[in-house]
Amino acid sequence: MERLISWVDRVNRWVVSSLGLLLWAGVALVIVDILLRQINLSFGGTDEISGYLMAVVTAWGMGYTLTKLGHIRIEILRARLGDRYKSLLDLISIITLTGVVSLIATKAWPVVATTLANSSTANTPLETPLWIVQVPWFAGWVWFSIVSWIYSLAAIRFYVQAESEKMSQIAGPTESLEEGL
Amino acid sequence: MIAALGIGLLALLTLSIPVGIVLFLLGIGVDHFYSFFPLIKALGRMIWSSSNSATLIAIPFFVLLGEVLVRSGVAASTYSALDKLFSWLPGGLVHANIATSTLFSATSGSSVATAATVSTVAMPQAKALNYDPRLFSGAIAAGGTLGIMIPPSINLIVYGFLTQSSIPQLFLAGLLPGLILALGFILITALICYYKPHLGGARRLFSLDERIRAVFALLPILLLFAAIVGSIYLGIATPTEAAAVGVFGAVVIAASFGEISRSILHESVIGTIKVTSMIMLIILGASFLNFTLASAGLGQKLDSFFTGLGLSTYGTLAVIILMYIVLGMFIETLSLMVVTIPIVVPLIIALDFNVIWFGILMIVLVEMALITPPVGLNLYVVQSARKEGKLAEVMIGAAPYVLVMALMIILLILIPDIALYLPEKLANR
Repeated sequence: MERLISWVDRVNRWVVSSLGLLLWAGVALVIVDILLRQINLSFGGTDEISGYLMAVVTAWGMGYTLTKLGHIRIEILRARLGDRYKSLLDLISIITLTGVVSLIATKAWPVVATTLANSSTANTPLETPLWIVQVPWFAGWVWFSIVSWIYSLAAIRFYVQAESEKMSQIAGPTESLEEGL
Repeated sequence: MIAALGIGLLALLTLSIPVGIVLFLLGIGVDHFYSFFPLIKALGRMIWSSSNSATLIAIPFFVLLGEVLVRSGVAASTYSALDKLFSWLPGGLVHANIATSTLFSATSGSSVATAATVSTVAMPQAKALNYDPRLFSGAIAAGGTLGIMIPPSINLIVYGFLTQSSIPQLFLAGLLPGLILALGFILITALICYYKPHLGGARRLFSLDERIRAVFALLPILLLFAAIVGSIYLGIATPTEAAAVGVFGAVVIAASFGEISRSILHESVIGTIKVTSMIMLIILGASFLNFTLASAGLGQKLDSFFTGLGLSTYGTLAVIILMYIVLGMFIETLSLMVVTIPIVVPLIIALDFNVIWFGILMIVLVEMALITPPVGLNLYVVQSARKEGKLAEVMIGAAPYVLVMALMIILLILIPDIALYLPEKLANR
């Protein structure tokens, strides 16, 4: 199980580095577009491309954020419970998340399938073939559900073994606070 | 349906299920029990169209801007400059806390990061100069909340996106109330320290030369802020474009006045991805819930629900405000905003209130949530940065600022033009 989790970490490190580059590229694209507009050279597709970037970056970033305990939870009850009950809430929480995310990934597929079947293009001047952006977007949600399944399995195991310390590391309280420091 | 929704929301949140997932679950529930058509089939398409958004990409850009400024040490140097400018006032350094928090959270759009930075820089000085730890830390916590009001504000982008109202107008609407709040904070600090000088620590005077240099040190940040807000106001740039230029400006400022390296840029962008995904999961959940609620005819149901209560328009508004104050004790800013928008905003529209105005009112209410116990995020951030004393001290110190916010809420209801004057000018141009 530890090996699976460290594999997820390795993939995620690669994923976020690429997403980071994409985001910097997005900043550059918007700025270049503003500059080109001053000399009437704008190619007019910046909004569209930044929208795609946003969809892809968020979809792939979700799984990373899960492993960094970044998705906000309201911990008012959790904070007042003993270790065993804390672990139980963590378990419920990760399993629920896994269910919902898997559902989203399943429902995302028909979107891509329709695009592929009709070879749809965006209704824009760029006429982007949509599969180019929708396939990576869909893959991001699939990756999010794979990560959450692995974390759920690990959580079940840690719960059964009553390893509350390990449980807290993979499915514990939101960590955005410490990150900010 | 409304009761089921409210109970379901609170129960699922209490179970500490991630907020975004709770919203999806509620949406699925509404779809299953109250909707005529199975909307779940549209889930995938809805997620694609909501996340494929050139408006929302302003969020990671603004977060990135703030990350770069904070990680490169520009925030720290801003603090010392503001200290030199404000330390002659009764309360000295406390004003620097508020001013830095205001300026910084305004440029970065993140309350928590600001409170964290300011407290790390400021705390050692507070001790050396013998300030009252309660007032000192309370002011940092309170100052940090202003960032979600003064543009560019990520919370306002989210509000604009979910209510389909104009983000530039929201930004303008937030400007005056944000500045008035900041002035109110400074005023109440000066008053407290004037009557109780022992709380304020030693006042210091800096030479004119030092103060002039401090002004110059602040110029880049002020220019960046003016360029972002100004270009949106003048219609030269969309919020997304202004944000991208802001990131560029932040990198330039960081390179000239702070330290910058590949690893700082890398850490900044990774922090940004984490924050963005966190926000987006909540936004997507809320969009889905919005969508299902609209098709289940929530607006009508709410209307008849409140008509049934026999409350006047302002009576209903009072109930809504009370609800925010109570919920705000337990749920944090963005989550609080997003979970309530799908239910409250349709009601606000039905009552004929202005949506832009309500956005600003809601922001003051969630700002209050940031510094009111038992769950006040900023209180905890400041407490964990100062590494001593009790959380209760920060809470007491923040209390005067909660009072100022309460006054601001009353003022906004009595004189809606505080928020609406600037956006209406924009609309009439």
